[in-house]
Amino acid sequence: MLYKILDKNHHKEFLSNLVANVKMVGPKKKDDSCHDFTSIKDVDEIDTAYQKTTIPPAKKILFPSTENLVRFRLGETIESEGLLESSETVLFGINAWDIAGMNFLDRFFSTDFADENYIAKRKALTVIGIDTEPTETNFAHYMDSEYVIEGFDLYFTDLGDRFFVRIATAKGNALLDRFAHIKDIEENDLKDFNKYMNVYRKKFKLEINMKNFLDNFENIYDKKGVWEELAEKCYSCGSCNLVCPTCFCFNVKDDINLDLKTGQKMREWDSCMIPEYGLVAGEHNFRPSKENRLKQRYRCKLITYKEKYGKNSCVGCGRCIEACLAKINIAEDINAIKKEVNV
Amino acid sequence: MGKPKVGIFGITGCGGCQLEILNLEDQLLDLINAVDIVHFTEAITEFSDDYEVALIEGSITTEHDVERIEKIGSIAKIVVAVGSCAVNGGLNCLKNLYGTEKANALVYGDKKEWIDTIDVKPVDAYIQVDHYVRGCPPNRLEIVDVVRSLLVGRNPEIPNYPVCIECKRNGNTCVYELGKTCLGPISRAGCNSRCPNSVSGCEACRGVIDDPNVNAQKDLLAEHGLSVKDIMEQFNLYNACKGKTIEQT
Repeated sequence: MLYKILDKNHHKEFLSNLVANVKMVGPKKKDDSCHDFTSIKDVDEIDTAYQKTTIPPAKKILFPSTENLVRFRLGETIESEGLLESSETVLFGINAWDIAGMNFLDRFFSTDFADENYIAKRKALTVIGIDTEPTETNFAHYMDSEYVIEGFDLYFTDLGDRFFVRIATAKGNALLDRFAHIKDIEENDLKDFNKYMNVYRKKFKLEINMKNFLDNFENIYDKKGVWEELAEKCYSCGSCNLVCPTCFCFNVKDDINLDLKTGQKMREWDSCMIPEYGLVAGEHNFRPSKENRLKQRYRCKLITYKEKYGKNSCVGCGRCIEACLAKINIAEDINAIKKEVNV
Repeated sequence: MGKPKVGIFGITGCGGCQLEILNLEDQLLDLINAVDIVHFTEAITEFSDDYEVALIEGSITTEHDVERIEKIGSIAKIVVAVGSCAVNGGLNCLKNLYGTEKANALVYGDKKEWIDTIDVKPVDAYIQVDHYVRGCPPNRLEIVDVVRSLLVGRNPEIPNYPVCIECKRNGNTCVYELGKTCLGPISRAGCNSRCPNSVSGCEACRGVIDDPNVNAQKDLLAEHGLSVKDIMEQFNLYNACKGKTIEQT
C-alpha cells in the first residue's frame, strides 16, 4: 500500500478529469430517502454525503439484476454464443462495507466455478473508495468491514483540508498520475489518519454479540421459539436478499423469441426466502416453511462462509434491516440468541 | 403442422387487455407470423368458431356471458385467462360486494329489468382454464411469453413471488419510505413492479401469492395510518371474487 496526499483544492479537478475522460459511476441523490449509484456525466451530480443506497453499488455493476448469458439458435444443431458484457468503468464513492461485500462476491464468483460474466466486469472496474456515515442499523465494525485493506484501487479519507489517499494497485496509481496533483505524505498525515480512524470507528453505535451467537446458534437451530416468532412476522418477500451486497443467488431461464428459432439464456436475482427457491422436480421442496428459510439465511450470512472462506458473508451494512417491512432485524436476532438459550 | 388457430375474446371488461395485445407494436408481426388469429373481438371484423387456443379477457357478469364462455370452452383445446377480470373477477367483483340487485337498480333505475346481471365470476368458475396471465392490465410481454411457451410445448413461468422482488431488482426506493402504502409484500409479481416504479403503491391487481402474510400486511397498513375500512377497501379492490377475499385467505 502506498500513501499520498491530495489537497482539497485539487479534489474537484481530479473528479472533473475523471468525468471528462472515463466512464464513471458514482453516488447521486435519488429521492428524499436514498442515493443511487448511476452514470455520472457532470461532476456536480456527485453527492458523497450519502448514507442509504438501496442496491449495493458493486453488486449493481458486477452482478446486474437481470443479465443475458448465452444467445442461441435452434436448427439441425444448436448454435450458441456466450455473451460477455463489460466496459472499463470507474466506480467512485463506494464505502468500506460495500467494498467488503464486493470482495466477498469476487471470491464467490471466482472460486469453484469461475463466473466469466462477473469476472469480465470485475476486471474492467476501477474502484475508488470513500468513508460515509454509517446508518443506525449499521454494524460493519463487528463484521470487520468498517475499514478495508483490499478490493479498491484507491481509497480517499477526508482529513478536513486534505485527503489521505491509499493506493492499492498500479491501476489506481496510474489514474492519480494521469488526473491528480498529489503529494507525498509527511509524518503528521499518518498521525492524523490514525486519529481520524479512531473517531470514525466511534460512529458505529450498534452493539452486537457475535461470540454468543456463534456459541449458541447450533443449540437453538432445531428449537422452535425464535424461528416461529420470526416466521410469524416474515412476508417471504425476498427484500433482505436482494438488497444484500453479498447475496449471490440467481435463477437461470431460457427465453425463446417468437420466431421459435432464436433465444437467449438469462439470469435474474433469486431469493432463498421465497418458497419456490427450494422447489425441485417432483414437487419436492427442501425448505417449505418460513422457519426453514429464515434460519438458512442466518446460517448463510453468519456461519457458512466463516467456515468456508474464513469471513462472514454478512458485512453489517444494515440494508436488510432497513428493507424489512416486517421489522426483522438481524442485529437484534444475533443478540437474542443468548436469551433464547437461557430459556 | 400449420400455425395454431387462436381466438381472442372480450367478455365483460374494459377492453384494455386486448388493447395490450395491440400495443405489442414491436412484436405484433412476429406474433401473427407464429399463430393464426382467427377471432379478435376488439381488432378484426370477421368471426370464427374454429380455433384451438382461446385468450379470454373479462369476467362473467350476465347470462349472455355464460352462454358465450361455455361455447368458447366447448371449442378451445387450450384456454388462457388474460387479465384480472378473467383470472379472478377483477374490479367487476365490487358489484358482488355492493349487492348485485342493488347495483343494478342504482345504475339502470326503472330499466333494470332489461339487464340480466348476475354475480360476477372469473372464467374458471364456468370452464377449465389452462393458463393465467394476471394483471390489470396484464404485462403484454407475459402474454407473448405464454404464446411462445405454448408453441414450444412448455409451461409458462408465471411468478408466485411478491412484487418486492421485482421492485428490488429495479432498484426502487420502497414506497413506504416515501410516505405511501403498498400491497407489494403479499401481491403476485410479474408486472415488473409497474406501479412502484412510478412511486405508486401496488394494489394487488395480479392477486395475492399462495402464502400471503395477511396479518403482517394489516398491521403494516394500520401503522401507516389506514383505518380498518381503508384496509378492506385496498384488499377488496381487485380481490373480492374467487369465493374468498384476501381477508379470508
